[in-house]
Amino acid sequence: MALYMIRRLSQSLLVIFGVSVITFLAMHMGGDPTYLYVSERASNEEIIATRAKLGFDKPLSVQYLRFAEGLVHGDLGTSLTYRTPALPVVLKRFPATLELTFFALTVAVCVGIPLGVLAAINQGKPLDGGIMLMAMFGQSMPNFWLGIMLILSVGLGLRWLPISGRVPLLDPLLDGDLDTMLANLPHALPYLIMPGMTIAFFSLARTSRLVRSSMLEVLSQDYVRTARSKGLTELRVIMHHAFRNAQLPVVTMLGLEFGFLLGGVVVVETIFSWPGVGRLVFNAINHRDIPLVQAAVLTFSIVFVGLNLLVDLLYAQLDPRIRLGS
Amino acid sequence: MLSSAAKILVCLAIAFMAVSMLRRHPHAAVSAGTAPVNKTLTIAQSTDADTLDPADENTIPTLNIARLLFGTLYRVSPTGQLQAYLAESYQYAEDGKSITFQLRPGLMCEDGEPLTARDAAYSFERAADPKLKFTGNATGFVLPALGYLGARVDGKLRFTLLIKKYNPIAIGLISELLISCQAPYEKMTKEQAATHPVASGPYRLAQWTHDDRIVLERNKYFPLPAPKYDRVIFRVIPETSTRAAELIAGDVDIITNVSPDQIDVINNSDTARVESIASVRRIYVGFNQKQKFASTPGGRAIRDPAVRLALQYAVDVPTMCEALLRTPCTRAATMVAPNNDHTGIPPYPYDPDRAERLLDAAGYPRGKDGVRFEITMQAQRDLYGDTNVMLAVGQYLTDIGVKTDVQLLDPSVYVPLIRQHNAGPLYFQGTGGATWSPLYDISDLTSPASGTNYTNWADPAFFDGWKQLDATRDPAAMDAIISHMLHVFHDRGPWLLLFFQPDSYGVSNRIHWQPRPDEAITLSED
Amino acid sequence: MKSRALKSKALRSLLRAKWPLLAVILLFGITLAAVIGPSVAPRDPNRQNIIARLKHPLQADRKGHVFILGTDGLGRDVLSRLLYGARVSLVVGLVAVIVGGAVGTLLGMLAGYFGGWTDDVIMRLADIQLALPFILLAIIFLLVLGPGVLNLILVLGIGQWVTYARIARGQTISQREKEYVEAAKALGQPTASILVSEILPNILAPLIIIASFNVASVILAEAALSFLGLGVPPTVPSWGGMLAESRDELLSGRWWLAFFPGVAIMLTVLSFNVLGDWLRDLLDPRSAAATR
Repeated sequence: MALYMIRRLSQSLLVIFGVSVITFLAMHMGGDPTYLYVSERASNEEIIATRAKLGFDKPLSVQYLRFAEGLVHGDLGTSLTYRTPALPVVLKRFPATLELTFFALTVAVCVGIPLGVLAAINQGKPLDGGIMLMAMFGQSMPNFWLGIMLILSVGLGLRWLPISGRVPLLDPLLDGDLDTMLANLPHALPYLIMPGMTIAFFSLARTSRLVRSSMLEVLSQDYVRTARSKGLTELRVIMHHAFRNAQLPVVTMLGLEFGFLLGGVVVVETIFSWPGVGRLVFNAINHRDIPLVQAAVLTFSIVFVGLNLLVDLLYAQLDPRIRLGS
Repeated sequence: MLSSAAKILVCLAIAFMAVSMLRRHPHAAVSAGTAPVNKTLTIAQSTDADTLDPADENTIPTLNIARLLFGTLYRVSPTGQLQAYLAESYQYAEDGKSITFQLRPGLMCEDGEPLTARDAAYSFERAADPKLKFTGNATGFVLPALGYLGARVDGKLRFTLLIKKYNPIAIGLISELLISCQAPYEKMTKEQAATHPVASGPYRLAQWTHDDRIVLERNKYFPLPAPKYDRVIFRVIPETSTRAAELIAGDVDIITNVSPDQIDVINNSDTARVESIASVRRIYVGFNQKQKFASTPGGRAIRDPAVRLALQYAVDVPTMCEALLRTPCTRAATMVAPNNDHTGIPPYPYDPDRAERLLDAAGYPRGKDGVRFEITMQAQRDLYGDTNVMLAVGQYLTDIGVKTDVQLLDPSVYVPLIRQHNAGPLYFQGTGGATWSPLYDISDLTSPASGTNYTNWADPAFFDGWKQLDATRDPAAMDAIISHMLHVFHDRGPWLLLFFQPDSYGVSNRIHWQPRPDEAITLSED
Repeated sequence: MKSRALKSKALRSLLRAKWPLLAVILLFGITLAAVIGPSVAPRDPNRQNIIARLKHPLQADRKGHVFILGTDGLGRDVLSRLLYGARVSLVVGLVAVIVGGAVGTLLGMLAGYFGGWTDDVIMRLADIQLALPFILLAIIFLLVLGPGVLNLILVLGIGQWVTYARIARGQTISQREKEYVEAAKALGQPTASILVSEILPNILAPLIIIASFNVASVILAEAALSFLGLGVPPTVPSWGGMLAESRDELLSGRWWLAFFPGVAIMLTVLSFNVLGDWLRDLLDPRSAAATR
């Protein structure tokens, strides 16, 4: 087990290194970004001077070495847009995106799983058909369309929820300030609901469909028939025997779901003015703020790779065949 | 793993909390402080400030905030008058190579320390300091355009700016340089200065939640008349529809960049209205004269002034403004804003038949397929919300036989292209102007090789005018020279002038506010 | 023999089930629109007419021309753009999936068959791609490569190769120990031939299922990229682009600009999802676990 972990860890580090090199090359491929950071009326001399100030006059290899050197010391350079260190800028925006992702994941779990179980139990009946129809639509709808429709109907039309903005929840929590977080909770939830649901809808649909098919597969197994014939109540059969065994693929999927959600936030964060990391990275790439993009990409890849590792470990824990085999 | 029952209980609890939150949402957004609603002004822009370092600002949204935090020696009124602000008066030396300023007494920074001539001089020196490597508007444009050499303190409230030579637009340029106190800025690193401004203006920074909002509160040490709001909140709302929705819902008082097709909806709501104004930003199609374009048929054609003249008649500008921008406009006649344009030159009318005759005469008849020649127009996607205009211009040109391929490019691709004068052969661009001097407007074209001369146009009849301008200080003489230059520009210049960009702001019916033509958001003191 | 039995089983299953039948009919209709649409479209989809802009469906302009589905912000006919857009959206979706599927299947089979060093390199490449959210990758590469339909297809295709590769690899691993492969090797059949003629047909089923679902997600991804301004150029009509252009008009109640392309996207995506479900039930009921 330990050997397996070490091997996976070293592979992960290689992957992260590969990502940073590819990003560096990609961001520099379009020429240098100096022109995007000079005044509208800057003269040629000023542009040349600015290029030197920002360090883009050096050859690419020198620039990458500088970046790698800084990386070893934990310094990912200074954001060209914000003039402050790049990594703290990225990390500061993460809690906002995580709030959306956790909300969506919670909805997917708390609503999607029961719906999937319900549909599986009632297979073929109208309830199953209704749930699956809704799930199908949920997976077929462009999420930005859903977001704008929510703003116009629930936000502007019904005035039930605020249209945009945010009250921080995770930031006080991560700072260790539980009191502020709890005080903010009732104010924060109204802002969280619309953007959260816009992202969650797709996951909710997908989760309920996966749980349904997982359950159906398990419900047809021999050991379930055995449990039923033993006279166990249907609920016990479902909860203890069927559901527990359906968990493995669901767990795997949820791990990947988190990563998928993290990637889907750019559009939603733009529409709802949610100050998260998706919007930050998108703008950074658009402005060729290379240090900021590098910092964000590095952070993302560490999170994703870490997640993958976690899921792998969980998988190995849950399925002894993997742990014991190779 | 949690037991299933516990999982269900947790979900139920969350659901209950969520449902109890579904109530009619009150007007005031929850944020720090409990100031009464009518003393707070909320403005929504599409981007956040990038830095609040007074020496490093570059973008308009940032400057709107910075101008409330920092004062300037002189400032520009909405109609283009230069008014004394932190300074009381100025005096040019005989040879024009220095300007002495008299500062007002009693000025202070937000820490209660006095703001004197030493601080004013330091503001210039700091922006010019090569060790600090600033890349903002002050260092990149204002100081070089000024011809800045140094600053000398002459007394407690007197200091002198040393410049290379006499500069008739010096005071206007100085209106863009923000003044701050020396002591706190000497102590801060560049990174601290970006996020911890020490105000010298009517407001101070109370809270900055990045990408979300900036909250300004009244700076009690500011002695001059200040706007009536105790708090000014700048919110960041990138999506146009969301911005308009917030305005109509009453959560925001002023919004920028209203989409033309949302103007009616806002005007029809009973909470807000749209105020439009023709700004000083010139929107034009450039004819790139750079040699590399001469190898393409289109690029070759536009080197002929007769072809350029013909194309001037091909575009129906008033209809485009009316239909696409939902704001009436007149076509721009010269590159100088109307309030500073004394030439009387009329704008080109829409006359497609004339355009066709002129192209025939210039030697570009229609081919069998109806096409005279093909040409590419490069543009920045979504520039000032004018995407529809870009595509419409392409259609107008195609209609008279000049088959135009409109390429909409990303800013990160387009900006380097145009700054290196490689956008073309046609390019769609907007360039900012000033309300306080025609010289600023024509300084897009200071020389054939200048940075902002994206067309590489080199007609000596125009550029010789600059030498003549240098040789005189008489305003009447300068007017005459400028007029001559503008006539040359009108006859055979490298721009197909479209319009002065109409800016549409959404304004809550609760407040009185008028927009300015120079794209700045300022608050009046009454 | 096996495939003939499969085909008749498929047909019977299709005719019995309502939803997959509907989905197939819908997809057939959409393909028809894509193929003949441009010839029957009433107007040039790029022909601007700014006087007649933002007409609602069935409204006539001053000259009396009726726009069945209305006009957009530049006066272009929505119906014509919808018909031309069908071609673009379908082509982008299908070609991207074919590109991604081909590349992914090839790499997956190579990794699974040869194992060792080849397997390691290919799987590390996959990890590198998975280390970033797709949209980030798409944004970076579209900004580098520039706009255009071809580049969009490339990016969308390359974005999914890993899914196919993983499945192909897993399936190839389980197939390579089988007797028929041993037999082919013993007979001296070249590796390429073994891979293509022997192994590939046996692993195709789960790949086709995934492909069906992926067309759906590619069409949605194209819409999202158009929203971010990275989709097809505006001179090329596409449903995603039309939807993206409509977002400023929703506030003023011009519903037809978002409704028609939105419904078109939803129905197409829905159909592919239903098709994928039906294929999965038909070909490989145990494939739910194989999609990791």
